[in-house]
Amino acid sequence: MSTPTLHPDPDAVDLDAVDLSDRVFWGAPPQQRHAVFDRLRRDRPFAFFAEPVVPFIEPGAGYHAVTRHADVAAISSQPALFSSGAGAVSIADMPPDMNEFYGSLISMDDPRHGKIRRIVAKAFTPRVLEQLVGSVQAVVDDVVARARRTAADGDGTIDVVRDLAAPIPLRVICDMMGIPEDDRAMVLRHSTVILSGGDPELVQDEALMVTAFLAAGEELAGLMARLAAQRHAHPADDLTTALVSTEVDGERLTRQEIASFFILLLVAGNETTRNAISQGVLALSEHPVERDRWAADPGLTRTAVEEVVRWTSPITWMRRTATQDVELSGQRFPAGSKFLLFYGAANRDPAVFPDPHRFDLSRDPNPHVGFGSRGPHFCLGAHLARREIGVAFRAFADQLPDLEVIGPPARLQSSFVNGLKRLPARLTEA
Amino acid sequence: MTARVVVDREVCMSAGVCELEAPGVFELDADGRLQVGEPTDLAAVETAVRACPTGALQLLD
Repeated sequence: MSTPTLHPDPDAVDLDAVDLSDRVFWGAPPQQRHAVFDRLRRDRPFAFFAEPVVPFIEPGAGYHAVTRHADVAAISSQPALFSSGAGAVSIADMPPDMNEFYGSLISMDDPRHGKIRRIVAKAFTPRVLEQLVGSVQAVVDDVVARARRTAADGDGTIDVVRDLAAPIPLRVICDMMGIPEDDRAMVLRHSTVILSGGDPELVQDEALMVTAFLAAGEELAGLMARLAAQRHAHPADDLTTALVSTEVDGERLTRQEIASFFILLLVAGNETTRNAISQGVLALSEHPVERDRWAADPGLTRTAVEEVVRWTSPITWMRRTATQDVELSGQRFPAGSKFLLFYGAANRDPAVFPDPHRFDLSRDPNPHVGFGSRGPHFCLGAHLARREIGVAFRAFADQLPDLEVIGPPARLQSSFVNGLKRLPARLTEA
Repeated sequence: MTARVVVDREVCMSAGVCELEAPGVFELDADGRLQVGEPTDLAAVETAVRACPTGALQLLD
Protein backbone atom coordinates (compact mmCIF):
# COMPACT_ATOMS: atom_id res chain seq x y z
CA MET A 1 0.00 0.00 0.00
CA SER A 2 1.35 3.44 -0.78
CA THR A 3 -1.08 5.87 0.79
CA PRO A 4 0.44 9.31 0.49
CA THR A 5 0.88 10.97 3.88
CA LEU A 6 -1.29 14.01 3.33
CA HIS A 7 -1.21 16.65 6.00
CA PRO A 8 -4.45 18.53 5.96
CA ASP A 9 -3.78 22.22 6.19
CA PRO A 10 -3.56 23.21 9.88
CA ASP A 11 -4.65 26.72 8.93
CA ALA A 12 -7.98 25.34 7.75
CA VAL A 13 -8.75 23.89 11.19
CA ASP A 14 -11.55 25.66 13.06
CA LEU A 15 -10.17 25.62 16.58
CA ASP A 16 -13.50 26.58 18.14
CA ALA A 17 -15.02 23.39 16.73
CA VAL A 18 -12.28 21.15 18.20
CA ASP A 19 -13.23 18.99 21.19
CA LEU A 20 -10.50 16.67 22.46
CA SER A 21 -13.07 15.09 24.79
CA ASP A 22 -15.07 13.78 21.84
CA ARG A 23 -14.37 10.09 21.23
CA VAL A 24 -14.91 10.48 17.49
CA PHE A 25 -11.88 12.82 17.23
CA TRP A 26 -9.66 9.95 18.40
CA GLY A 27 -10.85 7.58 15.70
CA ALA A 28 -9.86 10.08 12.98
CA PRO A 29 -6.75 9.45 10.86
CA PRO A 30 -3.55 10.71 12.54
CA GLN A 31 -2.93 13.32 9.85
CA GLN A 32 -6.14 15.07 10.79
CA ARG A 33 -5.40 14.88 14.49
CA HIS A 34 -1.89 16.24 13.93
CA ALA A 35 -3.27 19.18 11.95
CA VAL A 36 -5.39 20.05 14.98
CA PHE A 37 -2.45 19.67 17.36
CA ASP A 38 -0.25 21.80 15.10
CA ARG A 39 -2.76 24.62 15.50
CA LEU A 40 -3.28 24.11 19.23
CA ARG A 41 0.48 24.09 19.81
CA ARG A 42 0.91 27.31 17.84
CA ASP A 43 -2.20 29.27 18.88
CA ARG A 44 -3.60 27.79 22.11
CA PRO A 45 -0.82 25.92 23.87
CA PHE A 46 -2.93 25.46 27.03
CA ALA A 47 -6.35 25.07 25.38
CA PHE A 48 -9.11 24.37 27.88
CA PHE A 49 -11.67 21.58 27.38
CA ALA A 50 -14.66 20.31 29.31
CA GLU A 51 -14.24 16.79 30.67
CA PRO A 52 -15.71 13.79 28.88
CA VAL A 53 -18.75 12.29 30.57
CA VAL A 54 -18.02 9.12 32.56
CA PRO A 55 -21.06 7.27 33.89
CA PHE A 56 -21.42 7.47 37.70
CA ILE A 57 -18.47 9.86 38.06
CA GLU A 58 -18.97 13.54 38.86
CA PRO A 59 -17.33 15.54 36.04
CA GLY A 60 -14.66 18.03 37.10
CA ALA A 61 -14.05 21.58 35.91
CA GLY A 62 -12.10 20.67 32.78
CA TYR A 63 -8.47 20.37 31.71
CA HIS A 64 -5.73 22.14 29.80
CA ALA A 65 -4.30 20.37 26.75
CA VAL A 66 -0.50 20.79 26.85
CA THR A 67 0.97 20.40 23.37
CA ARG A 68 4.40 22.06 23.41
CA HIS A 69 7.47 19.94 24.11
CA ALA A 70 8.93 22.56 26.47
CA ASP A 71 5.76 22.71 28.60
CA VAL A 72 5.44 18.91 28.78
CA ALA A 73 9.08 18.82 29.93
CA ALA A 74 8.58 21.59 32.51
CA ILE A 75 5.54 19.87 34.04
CA SER A 76 7.08 16.37 34.11
CA SER A 77 10.27 17.56 35.75
CA GLN A 78 8.49 19.31 38.66
CA PRO A 79 6.53 16.51 40.35
CA ALA A 80 6.07 18.51 43.56
CA LEU A 81 4.17 21.22 41.68
CA PHE A 82 2.40 18.89 39.26
CA SER A 83 1.08 15.86 41.09
CA SER A 84 0.28 12.40 39.76
CA GLY A 85 -1.41 11.32 42.97
CA ALA A 86 -4.76 12.88 42.04
CA GLY A 87 -4.81 10.50 39.07
CA ALA A 88 -2.56 10.29 36.01
CA VAL A 89 -4.54 7.96 33.77
CA SER A 90 -8.05 9.37 34.01
CA ILE A 91 -9.36 12.88 33.33
CA ALA A 92 -12.12 12.68 35.90
CA ASP A 93 -11.17 12.34 39.55
CA MET A 94 -11.83 8.67 40.25
CA PRO A 95 -12.50 7.35 43.75
CA PRO A 96 -9.01 7.17 45.39
CA ASP A 97 -9.00 3.39 45.85
CA MET A 98 -9.88 2.82 42.22
CA ASN A 99 -7.32 5.36 41.12
CA GLU A 100 -4.54 3.59 42.95
CA PHE A 101 -5.69 0.12 42.04
CA TYR A 102 -5.63 0.78 38.29
CA GLY A 103 -2.83 3.30 38.22
CA SER A 104 -0.44 1.75 40.74
CA LEU A 105 2.73 3.82 40.86
CA ILE A 106 1.72 5.82 37.78
CA SER A 107 -0.86 7.59 39.98
CA MET A 108 1.35 8.08 43.02
CA ASP A 109 3.64 10.78 44.32
CA ASP A 110 6.81 10.54 46.36
CA PRO A 111 7.71 9.27 48.88
CA ARG A 112 5.50 6.23 48.21
CA HIS A 113 6.14 6.29 44.50
CA GLY A 114 9.89 6.29 45.08
CA LYS A 115 9.75 3.36 47.46
CA ILE A 116 7.76 1.13 45.12
CA ARG A 117 9.65 2.26 42.05
CA ARG A 118 12.95 1.28 43.64
CA ILE A 119 11.65 -2.16 44.53
CA VAL A 120 10.40 -2.89 41.04
CA ALA A 121 13.40 -1.24 39.35
CA LYS A 122 15.51 -4.12 40.63
CA ALA A 123 13.59 -6.43 38.38
CA PHE A 124 14.11 -4.17 35.36
CA THR A 125 17.83 -3.39 35.37
CA PRO A 126 19.59 -3.58 32.00
CA ARG A 127 21.40 -6.67 33.29
CA VAL A 128 18.21 -8.51 34.10
CA LEU A 129 16.84 -7.53 30.71
CA GLU A 130 20.07 -8.66 29.03
CA GLN A 131 19.23 -12.17 30.15
CA LEU A 132 15.91 -11.74 28.40
CA VAL A 133 17.40 -10.95 24.99
CA GLY A 134 17.49 -14.60 24.04
CA SER A 135 13.94 -15.00 25.20
CA VAL A 136 12.67 -11.94 23.29
CA GLN A 137 14.38 -13.24 20.16
CA ALA A 138 12.89 -16.71 20.65
CA VAL A 139 9.40 -15.29 21.19
CA VAL A 140 9.65 -13.08 18.09
CA ASP A 141 11.00 -15.89 15.89
CA ASP A 142 8.17 -18.17 16.99
CA VAL A 143 5.47 -15.53 16.47
CA VAL A 144 6.83 -14.74 13.01
CA ALA A 145 6.91 -18.44 12.05
CA ARG A 146 3.32 -18.87 13.22
CA ALA A 147 2.19 -15.83 11.23
CA ARG A 148 3.74 -17.35 8.13
CA ARG A 149 1.90 -20.64 8.78
CA THR A 150 -1.38 -18.79 9.33
CA ALA A 151 -0.96 -17.12 5.93
CA ALA A 152 0.08 -20.34 4.20
CA ASP A 153 -2.76 -22.38 5.71
CA GLY A 154 -5.32 -19.73 4.77
CA ASP A 155 -5.63 -17.31 1.88
CA GLY A 156 -2.26 -15.66 2.38
CA THR A 157 -3.58 -12.89 4.61
CA ILE A 158 -2.82 -12.09 8.24
CA ASP A 159 -3.94 -9.46 10.71
CA VAL A 160 -0.81 -7.58 11.79
CA VAL A 161 -2.37 -6.83 15.20
CA ARG A 162 -3.62 -10.33 16.00
CA ASP A 163 -0.80 -12.31 14.41
CA LEU A 164 2.30 -10.16 15.06
CA ALA A 165 1.88 -7.09 17.25
CA ALA A 166 -0.29 -8.53 20.05
CA PRO A 167 1.40 -11.89 20.72
CA ILE A 168 4.96 -10.53 21.02
CA PRO A 169 4.56 -8.28 24.08
CA LEU A 170 1.93 -10.60 25.59
CA ARG A 171 4.30 -13.56 25.55
CA VAL A 172 7.31 -11.56 26.70
CA ILE A 173 5.54 -10.00 29.69
CA CYS A 174 3.79 -13.27 30.61
CA ASP A 175 7.12 -15.13 30.41
CA MET A 176 8.72 -12.50 32.65
CA MET A 177 5.95 -12.76 35.21
CA GLY A 178 5.59 -16.53 34.99
CA ILE A 179 1.94 -16.51 33.90
CA PRO A 180 0.73 -20.02 33.02
CA GLU A 181 -0.09 -20.65 29.34
CA ASP A 182 -3.76 -21.30 30.10
CA ASP A 183 -4.29 -17.85 31.63
CA ARG A 184 -2.77 -15.79 28.82
CA ALA A 185 -5.83 -15.39 26.61
CA MET A 186 -7.66 -14.07 29.67
CA VAL A 187 -4.82 -11.61 30.40
CA LEU A 188 -4.96 -10.22 26.85
CA ARG A 189 -8.75 -9.92 26.96
CA HIS A 190 -8.81 -8.03 30.25
CA SER A 191 -5.85 -5.75 29.55
CA THR A 192 -7.51 -4.76 26.29
CA VAL A 193 -10.71 -3.87 28.15
CA ILE A 194 -8.89 -1.85 30.81
CA LEU A 195 -7.20 0.28 28.16
CA SER A 196 -10.07 0.30 25.67
CA GLY A 197 -10.97 3.87 26.57
CA GLY A 198 -14.51 2.58 26.27
CA ASP A 199 -14.21 1.89 22.51
CA PRO A 200 -17.73 0.73 21.61
CA GLU A 201 -16.42 -2.42 19.92
CA LEU A 202 -14.63 -3.55 23.08
CA VAL A 203 -17.02 -2.27 25.74
CA GLN A 204 -20.46 -2.66 24.18
CA ASP A 205 -22.44 -0.57 26.61
CA GLU A 206 -20.85 2.69 27.72
CA ALA A 207 -23.01 2.74 30.83
CA LEU A 208 -21.35 -0.53 31.83
CA MET A 209 -17.82 0.72 31.19
CA VAL A 210 -16.91 1.13 34.84
CA THR A 211 -18.38 -2.30 35.61
CA ALA A 212 -16.36 -3.82 32.78
CA PHE A 213 -13.15 -2.23 34.12
CA LEU A 214 -13.85 -3.49 37.62
CA ALA A 215 -14.59 -7.03 36.45
CA ALA A 216 -11.40 -7.10 34.37
CA GLY A 217 -9.34 -5.77 37.27
CA GLU A 218 -10.85 -8.25 39.67
CA GLU A 219 -10.02 -11.22 37.44
CA LEU A 220 -6.42 -10.08 37.02
CA ALA A 221 -6.09 -9.49 40.76
CA GLY A 222 -7.45 -13.00 41.33
CA LEU A 223 -4.80 -14.44 39.03
CA MET A 224 -2.15 -12.47 40.92
CA ALA A 225 -3.32 -13.73 44.30
CA ARG A 226 -3.15 -17.30 43.02
CA LEU A 227 0.34 -16.83 41.54
CA ALA A 228 1.68 -14.95 44.57
CA ALA A 229 0.64 -17.76 46.89
CA GLN A 230 2.36 -20.29 44.64
CA ARG A 231 5.58 -18.26 44.46
CA HIS A 232 5.68 -17.83 48.22
CA ALA A 233 5.64 -21.60 48.55
CA HIS A 234 7.76 -22.34 45.48
CA PRO A 235 9.99 -19.43 44.43
CA ALA A 236 10.76 -19.36 40.71
CA ASP A 237 13.07 -17.34 38.48
CA ASP A 238 10.50 -14.74 37.49
CA LEU A 239 9.33 -11.21 38.21
CA THR A 240 6.40 -12.35 40.33
CA THR A 241 8.77 -14.09 42.74
CA ALA A 242 10.91 -10.94 42.87
CA LEU A 243 7.85 -8.83 43.65
CA VAL A 244 6.63 -11.00 46.51
CA SER A 245 10.06 -11.35 48.08
CA THR A 246 11.95 -8.09 47.41
CA GLU A 247 12.66 -5.74 50.29
CA VAL A 248 13.83 -2.14 50.30
CA ASP A 249 14.94 -0.77 53.67
CA GLY A 250 13.26 -3.76 55.31
CA GLU A 251 9.93 -3.03 53.63
CA ARG A 252 8.08 -5.33 51.31
CA LEU A 253 5.26 -4.51 48.92
CA THR A 254 1.83 -5.03 50.45
CA ARG A 255 -0.58 -7.49 48.85
CA GLN A 256 -2.55 -4.56 47.43
CA GLU A 257 0.58 -2.94 46.00
CA ILE A 258 1.61 -6.20 44.37
CA ALA A 259 -1.81 -6.71 42.80
CA SER A 260 -1.98 -3.23 41.33
CA PHE A 261 1.59 -3.31 40.10
CA PHE A 262 0.90 -6.67 38.49
CA ILE A 263 -2.07 -5.17 36.63
CA LEU A 264 0.03 -2.17 35.63
CA LEU A 265 2.77 -4.38 34.19
CA LEU A 266 0.37 -6.57 32.27
CA VAL A 267 -1.62 -3.69 30.89
CA ALA A 268 1.27 -1.29 30.26
CA GLY A 269 3.50 -4.06 28.93
CA ASN A 270 0.88 -5.22 26.45
CA GLU A 271 -1.03 -2.24 25.14
CA THR A 272 1.90 0.07 24.48
CA THR A 273 4.36 -2.15 22.64
CA ARG A 274 1.56 -3.75 20.67
CA ASN A 275 0.58 -0.40 19.22
CA ALA A 276 4.16 0.71 18.60
CA ILE A 277 4.66 -2.48 16.55
CA SER A 278 1.37 -2.37 14.63
CA GLN A 279 1.63 1.33 13.84
CA GLY A 280 5.31 0.93 13.06
CA VAL A 281 4.39 -1.67 10.42
CA LEU A 282 1.81 0.75 9.05
CA ALA A 283 4.32 3.65 9.00
CA LEU A 284 6.90 1.53 7.17
CA SER A 285 4.31 0.48 4.59
CA GLU A 286 3.54 4.17 4.02
CA HIS A 287 7.25 5.01 3.76
CA PRO A 288 8.74 2.25 1.59
CA VAL A 289 12.04 4.07 1.13
CA GLU A 290 12.59 4.10 4.91
CA ARG A 291 11.45 0.48 5.15
CA ASP A 292 13.99 -0.63 2.54
CA ARG A 293 16.72 1.42 4.17
CA TRP A 294 16.17 -0.28 7.56
CA ALA A 295 15.89 -3.72 5.95
CA ALA A 296 19.27 -3.21 4.27
CA ASP A 297 21.01 -1.72 7.31
CA PRO A 298 20.65 -3.35 10.75
CA GLY A 299 22.90 -0.56 12.08
CA LEU A 300 19.94 1.77 11.72
CA THR A 301 18.00 -0.06 14.46
CA ARG A 302 19.00 2.17 17.39
CA THR A 303 17.70 5.41 15.88
CA ALA A 304 14.89 3.66 13.97
CA VAL A 305 13.34 2.30 17.17
CA GLU A 306 13.31 5.81 18.68
CA GLU A 307 11.66 7.21 15.55
CA VAL A 308 8.98 4.50 15.63
CA VAL A 309 8.20 5.44 19.23
CA ARG A 310 8.17 9.19 18.42
CA TRP A 311 6.02 8.66 15.35
CA THR A 312 3.46 6.36 16.99
CA SER A 313 3.44 7.77 20.55
CA PRO A 314 1.33 4.85 21.79
CA ILE A 315 0.27 6.53 25.04
CA THR A 316 -1.43 9.76 24.06
CA TRP A 317 -1.41 11.55 27.41
CA MET A 318 -0.83 11.44 31.14
CA ARG A 319 -2.47 13.84 33.55
CA ARG A 320 -0.91 16.09 36.18
CA THR A 321 -2.69 18.31 38.72
CA ALA A 322 -1.29 21.58 40.06
CA THR A 323 -0.66 21.34 43.81
CA GLN A 324 -0.48 25.14 44.15
CA ASP A 325 -0.79 28.22 41.95
CA VAL A 326 1.70 27.68 39.13
CA GLU A 327 3.20 29.48 36.15
CA LEU A 328 4.00 27.93 32.78
CA SER A 329 5.55 29.86 29.88
CA GLY A 330 4.41 33.08 31.55
CA GLN A 331 0.81 31.98 32.10
CA ARG A 332 -0.67 31.53 35.57
CA PHE A 333 -2.90 28.66 36.63
CA PRO A 334 -4.66 28.19 39.97
CA ALA A 335 -4.03 25.24 42.30
CA GLY A 336 -6.09 22.24 41.26
CA SER A 337 -5.75 22.91 37.51
CA LYS A 338 -5.59 19.71 35.48
CA PHE A 339 -3.10 19.32 32.65
CA LEU A 340 -3.11 16.61 30.01
CA LEU A 341 0.38 16.14 28.57
CA PHE A 342 -0.17 15.27 24.91
CA TYR A 343 2.98 13.30 24.11
CA GLY A 344 2.15 12.74 20.45
CA ALA A 345 1.73 16.49 19.99
CA ALA A 346 4.97 17.32 21.83
CA ASN A 347 6.68 14.72 19.63
CA ARG A 348 5.79 16.76 16.52
CA ASP A 349 6.84 20.12 17.96
CA PRO A 350 8.83 21.96 15.26
CA ALA A 351 10.70 23.85 18.00
CA VAL A 352 12.46 20.57 18.85
CA PHE A 353 12.13 18.30 15.81
CA PRO A 354 13.21 19.68 12.42
CA ASP A 355 10.59 18.74 9.83
CA PRO A 356 8.52 16.99 12.53
CA HIS A 357 6.06 15.30 10.17
CA ARG A 358 8.85 13.52 8.35
CA PHE A 359 9.33 9.85 9.31
CA ASP A 360 13.13 9.67 9.43
CA LEU A 361 14.65 6.46 10.77
CA SER A 362 18.05 8.08 11.23
CA ARG A 363 16.72 11.09 13.19
CA ASP A 364 19.37 11.95 15.78
CA PRO A 365 19.13 13.53 18.29
CA ASN A 366 15.57 12.45 18.93
CA PRO A 367 14.52 13.71 22.36
CA HIS A 368 10.98 12.36 22.04
CA VAL A 369 8.68 11.97 25.02
CA GLY A 370 7.07 8.72 23.88
CA PHE A 371 8.18 7.11 27.16
CA GLY A 372 7.23 10.23 29.09
CA SER A 373 9.43 13.24 29.65
CA ARG A 374 12.23 13.56 32.18
CA GLY A 375 10.98 13.01 35.69
CA PRO A 376 10.27 10.31 38.24
CA HIS A 377 7.50 8.72 36.15
CA PHE A 378 9.66 8.00 33.10
CA CYS A 379 8.58 4.64 31.65
CA LEU A 380 9.94 1.78 33.73
CA GLY A 381 9.75 -0.60 30.77
CA ALA A 382 11.50 1.64 28.24
CA HIS A 383 14.45 -0.77 27.75
CA LEU A 384 12.16 -3.72 27.40
CA ALA A 385 9.99 -1.91 24.85
CA ARG A 386 13.04 -0.75 22.88
CA ARG A 387 14.38 -4.28 22.78
CA GLU A 388 11.06 -5.82 21.74
CA ILE A 389 10.56 -3.25 18.97
CA GLY A 390 14.12 -3.60 17.70
CA VAL A 391 14.08 -7.40 17.65
CA ALA A 392 10.59 -7.50 16.11
CA PHE A 393 11.36 -5.17 13.20
CA ARG A 394 14.67 -6.88 12.43
CA ALA A 395 12.80 -10.20 12.31
CA PHE A 396 10.10 -8.73 10.06
CA ALA A 397 12.77 -7.38 7.68
CA ASP A 398 14.69 -10.67 7.56
CA GLN A 399 11.88 -13.22 7.74
CA LEU A 400 8.84 -11.38 6.36
CA PRO A 401 10.25 -9.26 3.52
CA ASP A 402 7.06 -10.02 1.57
CA LEU A 403 4.79 -8.49 4.26
CA GLU A 404 2.39 -6.10 2.56
CA VAL A 405 -0.36 -4.02 4.19
CA ILE A 406 -3.50 -4.42 2.07
CA GLY A 407 -6.10 -2.19 3.67
CA PRO A 408 -6.78 0.62 6.09
CA PRO A 409 -6.39 -0.06 9.81
CA ALA A 410 -9.29 -0.19 12.25
CA ARG A 411 -8.41 2.49 14.78
CA LEU A 412 -9.19 2.30 18.48
CA GLN A 413 -11.53 5.11 19.51
CA SER A 414 -9.62 6.06 22.61
CA SER A 415 -8.04 9.32 23.65
CA PHE A 416 -5.59 7.52 25.93
CA VAL A 417 -4.09 4.81 23.73
CA ASN A 418 -3.16 5.54 20.13
CA GLY A 419 -4.05 2.06 19.01
CA LEU A 420 -5.00 -0.19 16.13
CA LYS A 421 -7.55 -2.96 16.51
CA ARG A 422 -6.78 -4.57 13.14
CA LEU A 423 -4.39 -4.06 10.26
CA PRO A 424 -4.97 -6.34 7.25
CA ALA A 425 -1.89 -7.60 5.44
CA ARG A 426 -0.72 -10.46 3.29
CA LEU A 427 2.44 -12.44 2.87
CA THR A 428 2.82 -12.52 -0.88
CA GLU A 429 5.10 -15.55 -0.88
CA ALA A 430 2.78 -17.59 1.32
CA MET B 1 42.04 17.17 36.10
CA THR B 2 39.94 14.02 36.34
CA ALA B 3 36.23 14.04 35.72
CA ARG B 4 33.95 12.68 38.39
CA VAL B 5 30.30 11.62 38.31
CA VAL B 6 28.03 12.43 41.23
CA VAL B 7 24.77 10.54 41.75
CA ASP B 8 21.88 12.10 43.65
CA ARG B 9 20.61 9.00 45.45
CA GLU B 10 17.35 10.67 46.44
CA VAL B 11 16.50 11.34 42.82
CA CYS B 12 17.89 8.19 41.11
CA MET B 13 15.05 5.81 40.19
CA SER B 14 17.33 3.06 38.86
CA ALA B 15 15.98 3.46 35.35
CA GLY B 16 19.27 2.15 33.94
CA VAL B 17 19.43 4.55 31.01
CA CYS B 18 23.01 5.51 31.98
CA GLU B 19 24.07 1.86 31.95
CA LEU B 20 22.83 1.51 28.39
CA GLU B 21 24.66 4.68 27.29
CA ALA B 22 27.94 3.97 29.08
CA PRO B 23 27.96 0.30 30.09
CA GLY B 24 31.55 0.24 31.32
CA VAL B 25 31.03 3.12 33.71
CA PHE B 26 27.53 2.70 35.15
CA GLU B 27 26.00 -0.50 36.46
CA LEU B 28 22.90 -1.22 38.50
CA ASP B 29 23.81 -3.92 40.98
CA ALA B 30 21.59 -6.80 42.05
CA ASP B 31 19.89 -4.46 44.52
CA GLY B 32 19.08 -1.97 41.79
CA ARG B 33 21.61 0.48 43.26
CA LEU B 34 23.70 2.45 40.80
CA GLN B 35 27.44 1.75 40.90
CA VAL B 36 29.70 4.26 39.18
CA GLY B 37 33.22 3.45 37.99
CA GLU B 38 35.91 5.62 36.46
CA PRO B 39 34.44 7.85 33.75
CA THR B 40 36.81 6.52 31.09
CA ASP B 41 34.78 7.21 27.96
CA LEU B 42 33.97 10.85 28.60
CA ALA B 43 31.73 11.29 25.53
CA ALA B 44 29.57 8.32 26.55
CA VAL B 45 29.41 9.56 30.13
CA GLU B 46 28.27 13.00 28.96
CA THR B 47 25.53 11.37 26.89
CA ALA B 48 24.50 9.27 29.90
CA VAL B 49 24.34 12.30 32.18
CA ARG B 50 22.18 14.14 29.65
CA ALA B 51 19.97 11.12 29.05
CA CYS B 52 19.21 10.38 32.74
CA PRO B 53 15.42 10.53 32.92
CA THR B 54 15.42 11.87 36.46
CA GLY B 55 18.40 14.21 36.19
CA ALA B 56 20.19 12.36 38.98
CA LEU B 57 23.67 12.52 37.43
CA GLN B 58 26.15 15.36 37.41
CA LEU B 59 29.56 15.44 35.79
CA LEU B 60 32.18 17.41 37.69
CA ASP B 61 35.65 18.15 36.45
